[in-house]
Amino acid sequence: MKRSALTALVVACLIVTLLAPRTGKSSRPAEPGVRFAPVHIYLDSGNAPLAAYQFELVCSVPVRASQEGNPPKADHYESAVKIVGVEGGEHPAFNNAPYYDPAALANDRIIIAAFHTGADLPKGRTRIATIHLQIPSDTEPEYELKLAVAADADGREFPAELTLETGEDQ
Amino acid sequence: MKPKHLIALLILAVVLAVFTLLIPSLNKVHRYASRSDQPVSQPRQSVLESHPPSEQEQLSWHDLRDGESAEQPASLQFGETRTYALERTASDETDLSLLGSPSTSSAADGNKTAELHTIYGDSYGGAMGGAANRPQHIGTPQSQPRLQQAHQADRGLERRTLAPDLASVTADEIWVIAKPEAPQAEGPQYQTPGSGAMLAKVEEKEIPLPLKHTDVKGQISGYIATVEVTQQFENPYSEKIEAVYVFPLPQNAAVNEFIMVIGERKIRGIIRERQEAEQIYAEARRQGYVASLLTQERPNIFTQKVANIEPGKAIDVNIKYFNTLAYADGWYEFVFPMVVGPRFNPPGSTDGVGAVGRGKMGISGQKTEVQYLRPDERSGHDIALAVDIDAGVEIEEVSCATHATQKTSDAPQKAHVQISPLDTIPNKDFVLRYKVAGKTVKSALVTHTDERGGFFTLMLYPPDDLKTLQRSPMEMVFVLDCSGSMNGQPIARAKDAVKRALRKLGPDDTFQVIRFSQSASQFGSQPVPATPENVRKAIAYVDDLKGSGGTMMIEGIKAALEFPHDERRFRLVSFLTDGYIGNEVEILEAIHDRLGDSRIFSFGVGSSVNRYLLDRMAKLGKGAVAYIGPNDSNSEIVDLFYDRISHPALTNVTIDWGSLKVEDVYPSRIPDLFVGRPVTVTGRFAGRQNTTVRVQGKVGSYDKELAIPVRLADEASTHPGIACVWARRKIEELAARKTYDDSPSLPGEIQRVALEYSLMSEYTAFIAVDSTHQTAGDHGVTIAVPVPVPDGVRYETTVQN
Repeated sequence: MKRSALTALVVACLIVTLLAPRTGKSSRPAEPGVRFAPVHIYLDSGNAPLAAYQFELVCSVPVRASQEGNPPKADHYESAVKIVGVEGGEHPAFNNAPYYDPAALANDRIIIAAFHTGADLPKGRTRIATIHLQIPSDTEPEYELKLAVAADADGREFPAELTLETGEDQ
Repeated sequence: MKPKHLIALLILAVVLAVFTLLIPSLNKVHRYASRSDQPVSQPRQSVLESHPPSEQEQLSWHDLRDGESAEQPASLQFGETRTYALERTASDETDLSLLGSPSTSSAADGNKTAELHTIYGDSYGGAMGGAANRPQHIGTPQSQPRLQQAHQADRGLERRTLAPDLASVTADEIWVIAKPEAPQAEGPQYQTPGSGAMLAKVEEKEIPLPLKHTDVKGQISGYIATVEVTQQFENPYSEKIEAVYVFPLPQNAAVNEFIMVIGERKIRGIIRERQEAEQIYAEARRQGYVASLLTQERPNIFTQKVANIEPGKAIDVNIKYFNTLAYADGWYEFVFPMVVGPRFNPPGSTDGVGAVGRGKMGISGQKTEVQYLRPDERSGHDIALAVDIDAGVEIEEVSCATHATQKTSDAPQKAHVQISPLDTIPNKDFVLRYKVAGKTVKSALVTHTDERGGFFTLMLYPPDDLKTLQRSPMEMVFVLDCSGSMNGQPIARAKDAVKRALRKLGPDDTFQVIRFSQSASQFGSQPVPATPENVRKAIAYVDDLKGSGGTMMIEGIKAALEFPHDERRFRLVSFLTDGYIGNEVEILEAIHDRLGDSRIFSFGVGSSVNRYLLDRMAKLGKGAVAYIGPNDSNSEIVDLFYDRISHPALTNVTIDWGSLKVEDVYPSRIPDLFVGRPVTVTGRFAGRQNTTVRVQGKVGSYDKELAIPVRLADEASTHPGIACVWARRKIEELAARKTYDDSPSLPGEIQRVALEYSLMSEYTAFIAVDSTHQTAGDHGVTIAVPVPVPDGVRYETTVQN
């Protein structure tokens, strides 16, 4: 065997040695644009005790066409954010996982509803749900939040404010 | 540098590289192996040892299952379990008031106390050396040393508090004696990293695994069950894991809720296209997020994956489903399967369900694989199950032959049943039957209306007067599964059933007996007349059959359906099998292609039968199915079967829905109605007026009509699960069509219905990700949860190693 070949072999083995411990680990993120993040939904019922609610959330990222020099269009989204879990809220009356409408989910939005028949109901601002998302790019998604109804234990609707927050710790 | 130096350096570098590659795995093995401090049950002293019977006392062992009493426990078969009440009495005044099942015994004696003993490992009889070496009088002082020896030989004798359902039994001790499958030599698979094997001392048989407990809560309203199943996963290892568990659910379960519970937090899973859900799960797993994925491998087999369970952490998965109960011969039947039976896959197949030993991941070459515990292992995974029945009418009787149960009732139409703490090993189907007052069973419509419209189910009972008419001559074909999985108790019960059925044939009937395992063979070259001489010969033929080899059911199908039909006789093909095959689609396709005028009436034999296959065979074969469990009465089931086929069916059934506008009805063709066998029809409707539904059909050459009043406003006749039941039934019908119709639109249609109604199917899956917390490190080791082979099934003949 020639000296140069032997040298190459030695070098190859040393490289393997140096790299080997890393092969068993995941090299995340392999797809750097894909990430998971929660969105926390808050409802402020003022002085009214919250017994039931329904809201709609649309979450999407601007079309990639904007990256090619074209400005993003407000009404044109690629449906790429994926809802991957729906979690209950902070108050005991709403900490069970709320229901969603599967037919609405097929249209890249989610309609979520919950109710509680007990006496202990939240008032004021409370986190009613957390939506878990898979977001396919580093772009911050755009969110549309619509409150369909907030009602008290007698079924009376009342005005309420629906807001959202992002970030892992709430 | 000289060449020899370079060569030396090369060798050094190679050695270094090899060690560097191996060290992480060696460390892993060491970490697992170092945790051998799991709690194990220690042999303890029985009261028989601490307080041996005196000369004047006599011991009686009362088998709580069959009420038989004996001076000593029976010699058990491998894999058999029996519960005994042990009574001490003076030799001349033995109290036999204990006989009967614990739940029905009312002879409570508050002055007596009893202790419960459970022997894991060797059986009492086995430890005593089997029947040949057992002492003749175990209660006598002479036998005491041998008894004590037996207890010490038992590897895990537990003393517990008395189970509530046995509280009414007056006995000194309750003994549960179990004999495992024949032990095998320990092999190298015990050292497989990630299998969990290294966490326990092998001789203790305790295999800590990430699935700790399954909790099942069922609510039955009328004939619809709502069932919540909670699987409790926990990581007992020192590093992060992914748990993978293949488990069964009823074949008609409409799974529509999936919730991942992390501490107090509950995350509802989202129904997605299967491939999309799998991609989301893989990405979440890779990035270190806790995630769970539920997929369907067969209508009755599911895979649960839970990723990134950190050491010491627990994650629960809650699954909810609806299903309609079967009704047969006066009894409603609630079934909860607990273990997937080991399937045989024909050579060359890859889409089957492989059965492999623990730690042998991947060796079956099948898409889905179930790992099984060896006969001398147990995992600690146990099950609790409770069912609340609200029958709506008076319940006459509640019966469970598969498990020890506790039953209570606070109203005539209600009952609460739960399995006893004695019987928590998930290795057989739980089968609960209840009978309602005789004249209250009648065809009735149950409805549900929401924003999607109206849905209904109709349980259509056959008219009572069918029983007064007699059938025409039959050509009876028995097809007996003689494969390895049937070896032992299952084939013995199947043979008994065939022999009993043969003796019931009439002089105008003909019959054939076909056996299959790796290939098929038969009793005669063609069906023979049911003369006493032919029946005697056939019984001798059946007696000689044994279980071994593979399950080439297709050979049995061909042999049973491919010979010419005798036009003068009603051909009835009866399969007796556990259905442990992985190529169900091929079998169903073969039946569809070959059925002709035959009818299929199948018997599922065993403790955890493949009910999906047997039910589908019966539906395709326009017949019915019955199940013979280990504790069921063969004679009763065969006699009911004969009663059913001894009368003509209501055929050519059509339904006039009155003022209801009905569409999307399943089954699309109403099958024949046999005595004792109603048919459940489900569909969508519009309309709000009460009406009368009329069912028309023919009994022989006579027309017959049934009238069913429908009151849509009746609250008692509504159920919120009806929409899911309808959608599940539609999926079932589309999937059945797919076995013989290669229309490319069928998968898409199944997927659309499943997504719209949030239902599991082969094309949809539930995914849940906790995106609030990213765990450290990589995703860790994948641990498949091994399960016991079903009760009565032999590991040696069914599991690949």
